[in-house]
Amino acid sequence: MEFVINHLVKNYGSKKVLKDVDFVFGEGKIYGLLGRNGSGKTTFFNCINGDIDTTSGSFYLRENSDSKEIIPLLPEDIGYLVSTPTVPEFMTGREFLKFFIEVHEEVTPDRTIDEYFDYMMIPEDDRDRLLKDYSHGTKNKMQMLLNIIASPRLVLLDEPLTSLDVVIAEEMKKVIRSQKQGRITIFSTHLLDVAVDLCDEIVLLHNGRLEPIDKNELNDNDFKIKIIEALKDQDDA
Amino acid sequence: MLKDFFNTLVKVIHLRSIIGYNGLVFALRKTPVIGKLIPDRLYSTAFLKIIYWVIHVVAEVCKLFAGKIFGLGMIYLISFFLKTEYLEYNMASGVSGSALYAGFALSLFVVYALYGILLNIPVFRCTPEKEYLVFMIRMNPRKLNNTLFIYDLAKLVIGYQIAGIVAVVTGCPFWVWLGIPVLAVFIKLFGTGVLAFSYRIKNDHHKPLKSSALGMVFKIVTVILSAPVVLMFIANGHYVPLHIALIVCAVHILLGIRGLSVLMKFDAGLHRRALRDNIVKYEELIHKEPDKTKSFKRLKAKGSVKGNKKGFEYLNALFVKRHSGMLMVKPIAFAVFVLVLLGLLIAEFIYGYYHQFGGDNCIRMVMNNLLNIILFKCYDDPLLPFEMTSVASFFRWLVQYHLLGLVVLISGTDNSGKSTQAMYINCDNSLMTFSFFKQRDKIIKLFDIRLKQLIKINIIPALAFALAANLILFYTGGQDYPFQYLATFVVASSLSIIYSTIWLSLYYLFQPYTTSVNVKGGMYKVVSVITAIVFMILFFIPCNSLILAGILAVFTVFFVLLMRKAVYKHAPETWKLKV
Repeated sequence: MEFVINHLVKNYGSKKVLKDVDFVFGEGKIYGLLGRNGSGKTTFFNCINGDIDTTSGSFYLRENSDSKEIIPLLPEDIGYLVSTPTVPEFMTGREFLKFFIEVHEEVTPDRTIDEYFDYMMIPEDDRDRLLKDYSHGTKNKMQMLLNIIASPRLVLLDEPLTSLDVVIAEEMKKVIRSQKQGRITIFSTHLLDVAVDLCDEIVLLHNGRLEPIDKNELNDNDFKIKIIEALKDQDDA
Repeated sequence: MLKDFFNTLVKVIHLRSIIGYNGLVFALRKTPVIGKLIPDRLYSTAFLKIIYWVIHVVAEVCKLFAGKIFGLGMIYLISFFLKTEYLEYNMASGVSGSALYAGFALSLFVVYALYGILLNIPVFRCTPEKEYLVFMIRMNPRKLNNTLFIYDLAKLVIGYQIAGIVAVVTGCPFWVWLGIPVLAVFIKLFGTGVLAFSYRIKNDHHKPLKSSALGMVFKIVTVILSAPVVLMFIANGHYVPLHIALIVCAVHILLGIRGLSVLMKFDAGLHRRALRDNIVKYEELIHKEPDKTKSFKRLKAKGSVKGNKKGFEYLNALFVKRHSGMLMVKPIAFAVFVLVLLGLLIAEFIYGYYHQFGGDNCIRMVMNNLLNIILFKCYDDPLLPFEMTSVASFFRWLVQYHLLGLVVLISGTDNSGKSTQAMYINCDNSLMTFSFFKQRDKIIKLFDIRLKQLIKINIIPALAFALAANLILFYTGGQDYPFQYLATFVVASSLSIIYSTIWLSLYYLFQPYTTSVNVKGGMYKVVSVITAIVFMILFFIPCNSLILAGILAVFTVFFVLLMRKAVYKHAPETWKLKV
């Protein structure tokens, strides 16, 4: 399975945020979408998730690079973890999980609700509290858990580790790595070290375009410096 | 020192004008239609900034004089009027005109100034420019507050001296004209000193340095209760002799000196704390969208869903349970209010019969007419022929021919707008980030459940209004044709269903809310206004109730199906987060 983006353009009035995004993402890998603050990472995800309209271009799924059959990307194919997690505040964690499993009739849960909580390391005393009272990290874990249950083909993670404490960040990394098989994961971040640590491939969102980077070269300190210099050139989106 | 004073003052006024200018541009850019034409660069247009600066200075000068000239000018005029009247009617024998004038002017001014310091002492109010200067630029708060305080006192003296023109014209003694501005300064020093003293005590007790709500209520009540006493005092021909007025003024001058000494000891740390505790949330009001979500966040994890509800049914039941206060209170309160009112009217009516004809006849009449209602028959009152008053006939005419007017009452009690806001802010706002929530079949499933729920909530007051309309019909001669009572219920229910459907559909088709529940969608606003206009026009269309009920019943079914179809077709594209 591949996720193909074809000359995607997004303008806000005269401001060109995504100028020509043209890229193919492959299955079973975590792609680190690296870009400066304001480079258009969230805009890129919002376009794919259908939250905002694109100016031009297209994106779709295909079985492999030889396949000519285009598989349209449907809402149910996408799992989107937003940087500021939002959860239905009037429900408890348990109630929300129950509801989520029930509406995903096509998914057969392989665990009980408490086992899911255990898997995500969500403390027992949080499970029956309103989601509005959850910490940022626990809300993030809830969102990740829901994406695991829904099992989408394409997972978009918008800076999910930002503002998490070190323990929760490590737990989240572990979960993200364990879930990469059978799906395409795109992980946006503005932190080079996080991208290097977690991702299989690094893609630079720079001046409205995606540019792949050979991850192995990142060990070379000069190359890191070169990337930082390149990012300095960018016109802020 | 003087240079320092002017430097600080210029900084504050400059900052105030920048904040004002940016606030104005921001407000213009937020205005529908016009906003889109205003470019970002307006924020940095020097020419417009200069114009705004000039306007700002003019406004400052106007503010300086307008209030003071009006307030003190009125006191001089009243004093002049009272002096003339008292002399004409010989109510102050042996007192000269100028002494009488001075006594009135001084005593009224002291009351006026005391009211002023009770209700408004702005020294410790932390306006945006103070917030930036103290908490970001870290300017010495004592220096800033003192500079602005001296500036205020200077404005007071100049403003009051100019108001003295009225005094000169009306023959006020010269020394009063010169003395009142000085007295004003001392009274202000006294008031500010008292406030500073109370803040110092609060600080010693680790309490916030701000006026409590109870204190504010006390001050307002004092003003409200004492004002009539002052007026009665004068109206009864009394006056404060000049020597007493002078003693009162002298006491206030002494208190002012004491206030000054308290202020001198009020150090920078206390100034900073006082400012921190009195920050004016101007920033949120002018520069940012006000966050209206607070009232939606008062949730508790109480109760659970009974029965075997699953999926979206479960979500909705839980939503209603956790938001019952928000969703139900308004419609039920209106319904109960209408029903209690009706109950009282009915009780009064029955009591009237009972009083006049005794228990048996009264019961017979009530039972007879209850049967008439059930059988949709006409009003039948053998005991007392109904006397139609003009008011009663007007209401009867409304119920007979203008039942569509019920839409005005129904729109007032309908809670759909608030309900969709609650849905968005506490539920959909987050679920919209999940793909399943955007699937067509799931959207329509939840729409159906929510529509039923909204109808159930909003129909309660609509039925109460229908009952009221029917009782008007009943007591003013009964129905004109069979099933007229039933028609009233059908019309009210249909209008309520249409109203609920419109608002829920608009929410799904335009999703106008931002994360702070402000309405952003221009199209939503346009459609809302058109809907309101159509409903207002409906009020004036005369129609036979029975025909209306038939048409509305069919139209309601057609309308709900149409809107449902529109939501099914378009909501996957329209019902989403405002990014």
